[in-house]
Amino acid sequence: MALNIGADDLVENPTPRVPVTLCLDTSGSMMGEKIRELVEGVNLFYNAIDEDDDAHDAAEVSIVEFNSAASLIQDFASIERLDRIDAINATGGTALGEGVNLALDTLEKRKSTYSNAGVLYYQPWLVLMTDGQPNGSSAELERAIGRVTDLVAQKKLTVFPIGIGSDADMSVLERFSPNRPPLRLRGMSFKEFFEWLSKSVSRVSRSTPGDAVKLDLEGLAGWAEL
Amino acid sequence: MGPRQVSAERSESAVFAPEEFISTDHRLFIDTNVFMDTDPDRAGGLKKLFGRCMDIALRNHNGIVVPSKVIDELAKQSGLDTSEFTEERAAAVHRAGQWLTALESGAAAGFIRKDLGDGSNPYADDLFVDLFTHFGGRYDMCLLTNDITLRMRIRLLGAASQRHLVAGTVCADGRLAVDPDQALYERACRKLARMTRHIEEGLGKPKDHAEVEMLAPLLDAFKRTFAVNEIDARHTDRRSIRLPSTPAGPSTPSAFRRVTALKPTDRLLAPTSIPKTGDGVTGETPQTKRAVMLGEMLGVGGEGSVFAVEGDYSQVVKIFDKDHRTEHRKSKIGLLLSHVLESQGIAFPTSMILNSEGEFVGYTMPRASGKELQATIMRPARFKRVYPNWTKADLVDVCISFLEKVAYLHSLNILLGDINPKNVMVDEHKNVWIIDADSWQIEGYPCPVGTPMFTAATINGEYADALRTVEEERFAVATMLFMILITGQFPYARAGADGSDFAALIAEGKFAFQFKGPSDRDQPEGNWKFMWSHLPFKVKRLFWNTFHRNGTRSTRRPTANEWLDAFREYRAVFGSADDFDPMSDDVYPFRFRAFRPDTPIHDCPQCGRANAIVGLWNEDSGSYFEPSLCYDCNQNKSRCADCGKPKHPDTLKDGRCWECNRKRNNAACANCGKETPTRYMVDGRCSNCQLIRCKDCGTPTAKADLSYGRCATCVKKSAELDSTKLCVDCRQPFITFDHERWFTSKGLDIPKSHLTATKRACPPRPAASAPPRRTASTATPPKQRTAPPKAAPAPPAKSLWERFVGWLSS
Repeated sequence: MALNIGADDLVENPTPRVPVTLCLDTSGSMMGEKIRELVEGVNLFYNAIDEDDDAHDAAEVSIVEFNSAASLIQDFASIERLDRIDAINATGGTALGEGVNLALDTLEKRKSTYSNAGVLYYQPWLVLMTDGQPNGSSAELERAIGRVTDLVAQKKLTVFPIGIGSDADMSVLERFSPNRPPLRLRGMSFKEFFEWLSKSVSRVSRSTPGDAVKLDLEGLAGWAEL
Repeated sequence: MGPRQVSAERSESAVFAPEEFISTDHRLFIDTNVFMDTDPDRAGGLKKLFGRCMDIALRNHNGIVVPSKVIDELAKQSGLDTSEFTEERAAAVHRAGQWLTALESGAAAGFIRKDLGDGSNPYADDLFVDLFTHFGGRYDMCLLTNDITLRMRIRLLGAASQRHLVAGTVCADGRLAVDPDQALYERACRKLARMTRHIEEGLGKPKDHAEVEMLAPLLDAFKRTFAVNEIDARHTDRRSIRLPSTPAGPSTPSAFRRVTALKPTDRLLAPTSIPKTGDGVTGETPQTKRAVMLGEMLGVGGEGSVFAVEGDYSQVVKIFDKDHRTEHRKSKIGLLLSHVLESQGIAFPTSMILNSEGEFVGYTMPRASGKELQATIMRPARFKRVYPNWTKADLVDVCISFLEKVAYLHSLNILLGDINPKNVMVDEHKNVWIIDADSWQIEGYPCPVGTPMFTAATINGEYADALRTVEEERFAVATMLFMILITGQFPYARAGADGSDFAALIAEGKFAFQFKGPSDRDQPEGNWKFMWSHLPFKVKRLFWNTFHRNGTRSTRRPTANEWLDAFREYRAVFGSADDFDPMSDDVYPFRFRAFRPDTPIHDCPQCGRANAIVGLWNEDSGSYFEPSLCYDCNQNKSRCADCGKPKHPDTLKDGRCWECNRKRNNAACANCGKETPTRYMVDGRCSNCQLIRCKDCGTPTAKADLSYGRCATCVKKSAELDSTKLCVDCRQPFITFDHERWFTSKGLDIPKSHLTATKRACPPRPAASAPPRRTASTATPPKQRTAPPKAAPAPPAKSLWERFVGWLSS
C-alpha cells in the first residue's frame, strides 16, 4: 500500500500550529564556543518539543541564519520532519535586517500554505538572536524593523529579541520590540533559554488559538536580564 | 432510505406565514403566555407578526383574536408588585403591561378582536379548546401558545377535524412554527417527567398535580392518534442522569434559580496561605466537616492546582492560586453545595476546602476517570494510538454521554460556560466527565473564562462582564459535538481564510462542509470531507443549519435534548438496514459515503483496501460511474513521483512535475553556480567552466576564463614588455612577450630595435623630472606611454592648427 501519507501530515493534523522561526546570528563573532552552545540549544529545543505531548503536534520550526548574508537553513516543518543540526559555521558580518526579512518572508509563505489548506494556527513567533551590531544594509534593517513592529501591532507576531553577551546592540533589538524589552542572555545560557522557549511553546499549544498567552516571565529569572 | 427520509422530514418544525390565518374563513388566536414571553430566541417575533398581519386583517375585517380572558390575565399580571420577582419574571410582567396598551390601540383600530370568549371557563386554556371544538368545523384556525399541553390538545382536535386546526409558537421573524408530532410528543413526555419528579420531591404545586392528571391521558391519546415513537424520557432522565442520590438532606435536589442580572464584579478574597502537598485542610459541607490531607499534586491549571486526597482515592482537591481565590468562586461552590447533587460523570463539588485559618481556598470533587478530549479525540495521531479500535459508533456514544451531562446541567439552570476539550474528559469505556464546576454560570454568577473556538459571535468583550445566554451555550455544545465526530476539526476551518482569526471565522458563519448543494471548494484539505459525508443526513442537516449563517437554526440552535435525540437515532443506525455503507462506521473513512444501499462498492485493485471504491451517481445518465481506482490511488496516479504533490497527468513528464524534473535533471555548476542540465555537464561543471590547459603555462583553467587559449595571468604577462631585451637605439625595452612569440612562431629572428619591431622610430624618452606639458591634460592621456609599443605608435603630437588655437586662447 503505497500511500503518500507523509506529505499529508499538514492537513491530516487538525491541531492549530505554532509557527516558530529562529533568526540566528552566525557571524564571525559567534565562532567557537558560542555557536556550539547555540547549536546544542537548538537541538535541545527540538528534543523538548518532541517529548511534549502538546507541542509535538503544534510546533512548526524554521531557522534563518544571517552573517554576511541571510539564508534559510530549515524551512518550516513539524517536529518529526526536523533534522537535528550538526554544526553551523560562524563567519562574516552581521546582516541582521536581511536575516529578519528572510525570516518574515518564510513565515508569510507558510501562513499562506496554512490558509490555502484550511489549517488553523496561532500567532507566529520570531526569535531573534544576535551578539553584535548589525552591519548589513541599513535600508534592509529599517524595513525589517518596520515589518516586525507592524505585525506586532496587529497582533500577528510575537517577537523575542535576544542579545547574546555584552556586545549585543540592545538598542537595535529594542526597536524590534516596542512592547517587551529585549532579553540579554547571561553568559551562554542557551540551554536555559531554549528550555524556557519550548515550555512556552507547549504552554501556547495547550491554550486555544486567540487566547492571550501569558508568558512565564518569572521563569526567565537567573539566566536572562530583561 | 425511505422510512428514514420521512422521519427526518417530520422532525423539523413546519413554518407558516401568519397571514394565512387572517384571510376570510380563518382565525388566529393568541394566548397569554405569548405576550409574556421573554425568550430572546423569539424576541421581537410577535411585533413582526402584528406588522405582517395588520393591513390584511383590516382589509379582511378579520382581526387577530385575543380573548377577553387573555386580556384579563394580562391586566392581572401587569398589576402585580414585581419587587420580589426574579428579573426574568419581572421582565415578563412588564411586557404584559406594554402589550396591554398596544392591544387596546389595536382593538380601537379594529385590528385586534378581544370581544370573543366571554365563556365561563376559569382558564383561557379551556376557553381555546372550547373555541376550537365549537368552531373547528367552520374555520381554519391557529393558536399561538407556548404551552405544550395546550398545543397537544389542539393537535388532537386538528386530527379529528376537516379543517386546518394548528397550534404553534411565533418565530423571531414573525412567522409561525408548528412542531412535528414526534418532537411535540417528546416535549410533552419530558414535561410530564419533570412535573412528576417535582411532585415526588415534594416541590409540586396544586397546578402541577392538575397538569400531570391532564397530560398523562393526553399522551396516550396522542400516541394512539399519531404514529409517534415511544421515548422513555422519564427513565432516561432518572437512570443515566441522576444516580441514586444520597439520603435526603435538608435540601432536596432541584434546579437553581434563573437569574438574568449579573452579580457585581468579582473581587479577590483577602490574602491567606495557600496549602500544598502534605498540608492539612478542612472539607466542609453545610452538614459536615472533615479533615483532609493534601496528597501529591496531580496537575497545574490556569486557576490553581489539583491535588490527590490522602487516603481517599475517589476524591481530588482543587486549590485556587492567590489570583483566583475570589468571592464569586467561593459563592458558587457554596451555592452548589447547598443543593445535594451527585451524578456519575459530573464533577460536582463535594465540599468546600478551608485552610488552617478557616479561609476558603478550594473544593473537593469526585476524581474523574479518563483523559481530556484535548489529549485524545482531538489529536488524530494520538487518538489512533490510544484507542485504535474505536469506531464511529464509539464516538457517537461519547457524544451521547457528553450530551446527557449537559442536558442535566441545563435542566438545573446551570450553564457550563467554558465548554472546551480540556474541561471534558473521556475514558476507555467512553464515559464522559465534565469538570471545572467553579467556572460554571449559576444564578447570576458569570463564567469568567472562555475559549475562542467555542465562543458564539454574540459574545463580545470580557467573559466575566456578561452572563452567557443559553443560545450561546448551545453554540459551544454544537461545536464540541462536531469536533468529537470529526476528531478535532474546527467547524469553521476552511481553505482560503486566515486560519488564525477564530472570531472572524465564526462571525462570518461560512460553514464549508458540503450539504445538499454543490461541493464547497472551501472545504479544508484532507479527509475531513469524507468524515463529514458519512454522517447521517439528519445529523448533517442539524449541523449545517446550526453553523451556516444561512441555516435555519443559526440563531435558534438545537438544545442538548434535541441533539440527544438526533444522536440516539444516529446510534441506532449502526447495524440497521440504513447502515449500508461498511465504511460509515470507520472513524477515518477515505472516500465519500455510498449514495444508496444499491450503490456499488468495490475493493481497490491497486492498493487492495477493502470497500475503497464507491460508485458515483450520475444524474444525467441515471447510472453509477465506477472509478477503476480508489480516491487515493487516483490521486497518486497523477502525483509527482518525487514530491508527492497531486498534479494533473498532462503536466507530468517521466512521472514527475516540472519543478522536480528541474531539480532532478539540473544541477549547479561547481564553478560558476549556474543551473545547468546535468547532461551538458562534465565533472560537475558546465561547458563554460570546463578545465582546459593554458597554452602558455599549462595551468588547467575554466574555459570561460581563457582568452585565446591563455589564462588571465598569461594574457597579462604576454602584454608586458620584455625587460631583458632593450632597443639597440634607445636602450629601452621595446618588445612584448607576445610579439616576440609571434616572430619565433614564424621562424624569424627577434628584432633588435623599435624601428625594426614596430616600423616606427623610438619614442621620446619619458623624462620623470620634466614638468607636465601644458597640453597633456587636454589632449594625450599619459598612460599612452606605458602601452605596449605594438599598440603604441609614435607619441601623438598635436596638429599645428590645434597648437595654434591653444596658444591663441591661452
